[in-house]
Amino acid sequence: MKRTRYVLTALGVFLGLLVMLASPGTDRALAHKEKHTPDQLKAFDEEFMEQVKIGDLLFHGDGATEKRLRVTLSKTGMACAMCHPFGSDNHPHEFPKFQEQINKFATLRDMINWCIEKPNEGVKIDPDGDAMKALETYIYWSNRGSKLDPGRH
Amino acid sequence: MDDHDRLDLARDKARRAWWRKARSCSEIQRTRREMDAELRKPGERPDPSLAITRRIFLHKSLLAGAAAGAATYGWFPLVNTLDLAFGAETFKFAWVSDNHLYPKNVNTRFVEKATRAVKEVQAMSPPADFLIHGGDLAQLGDPVELDLGNDILKEVKIRKVFIPGEHDWYLDMGAKWQQLFGPPNWTFDHKGVRFVGLDTVSRGPDYWTAKKMTPKERMGHMATLDGSVAGAWAGVGRDQLEWLNRTLSNWPKGNPVVIFSHNPLYEYYPPWNFWVRDWREVHEVLKPYTNVTNVHGHTHQVLYNEVGKMRSIGMLATSWTWPYAPEGVPTLTRCLVRVDPGDHFDGVGWSRLTMSAEKIQNEYVMWRKDIVGEALWDSGCADNVNQVLSPRIADREWPYYGAYK
Repeated sequence: MKRTRYVLTALGVFLGLLVMLASPGTDRALAHKEKHTPDQLKAFDEEFMEQVKIGDLLFHGDGATEKRLRVTLSKTGMACAMCHPFGSDNHPHEFPKFQEQINKFATLRDMINWCIEKPNEGVKIDPDGDAMKALETYIYWSNRGSKLDPGRH
Repeated sequence: MDDHDRLDLARDKARRAWWRKARSCSEIQRTRREMDAELRKPGERPDPSLAITRRIFLHKSLLAGAAAGAATYGWFPLVNTLDLAFGAETFKFAWVSDNHLYPKNVNTRFVEKATRAVKEVQAMSPPADFLIHGGDLAQLGDPVELDLGNDILKEVKIRKVFIPGEHDWYLDMGAKWQQLFGPPNWTFDHKGVRFVGLDTVSRGPDYWTAKKMTPKERMGHMATLDGSVAGAWAGVGRDQLEWLNRTLSNWPKGNPVVIFSHNPLYEYYPPWNFWVRDWREVHEVLKPYTNVTNVHGHTHQVLYNEVGKMRSIGMLATSWTWPYAPEGVPTLTRCLVRVDPGDHFDGVGWSRLTMSAEKIQNEYVMWRKDIVGEALWDSGCADNVNQVLSPRIADREWPYYGAYK
């Protein structure tokens, strides 16, 4: 009886390890056990700046980028940057907060979609899609250094 | 007072301190103070003082029954007044600018707002002596846009004078605009005032030839306020400075001069061309004249400044508002109230100016009740005090990361 319990416990531990190793997050978890190389850091930065540039183009109304990502951010000729030069007046560091225009507690992504749909009369984009991630990246990048102040009106 | 109130008070105090620091430490503010000191030498006749401006406004606001608390702020940009010691008749003129019209099949909202402004100008009673259009009638310099603007302005039957904006110019280098509206700079005398229209847009550095840009690409970069390609395009230019000098040389030094320009004639925020790059030279030319008022567009916001003996008033757009720049907002400006981006008619409008023997008075005609925001959370300046911004990046590489279409 006791022996059977030992065998079952060992089997459980083995299966648990197997599940951990096979899970999708394992690579990332293990990656942090090594010191970062300069090449890695450069690659991380390049990946980030690539998104910043795509977001910058979308934000400034670049038709080719919109077409490639299959989004319509505006039907009025207006681009985001026409009201938000240098990403100003976006206040990404103040989200989440209650947003009057939407009349609800909102995230930055909610607000981006509101601007696309209302003032710009465009088509709302997938909140988790590539275009949203790029826009969000550009907005955060252009406001980096701003003090976090969530909830501020 | 509960914890929530105490926290609010502490945050409010911190924001005020932050705002004071941001305004007092700016390099632009320092430059502006030095320039002002240079232009106001001891013994020179000073400009009509700020106190007079404040007094006259207080008087008017009390007559209008405005709250005394609000009046003590002295809302300079809302109603600017200054003494003009000359015997001019009282008259009015109107300013409309920055309509940024697209062809009607792209966007009709800007057409609606331009039309509303023009109808209101025409309905002025007594009528204005003239309308000055301050530039950026079109969005992308398209002849269709300029023709559309010209048609809308035909509603105004009084005299019209025009100066160009960069959006009108860089598709065909001003050909269509000049065909419709004539030369980009001019002067005329009216009831004791010398009016001057300056062209501050056409002398931009050539950023297109070496890169073999199409006219449309050239216009696209010019139309991007926060772009890095067109550079410091706003300027008066040596030739026009000489013309300005000649134009004013036979005018008595104490008599009123009103200069219209698309860009402000001082340094507010160069990255967005909220200036002219040769503003110091402009002030050298204007130095002997003691009653100079500059009325400008381009910035799409309530602005008021004084440098040396020149006053400067920024006009509203009919199209949309620009946010206040991250630095350089003149300390004399009471900022525009935060506008509602969901309402196309909010924060935009035109101006009605009255000149009399004593003063020039500017009245912003904005299509909402409140024009300036005094409370920190309602002010277009204070709202942005906690943001740190970076210039855009995607247009800094060549060939461009993305192509402008």
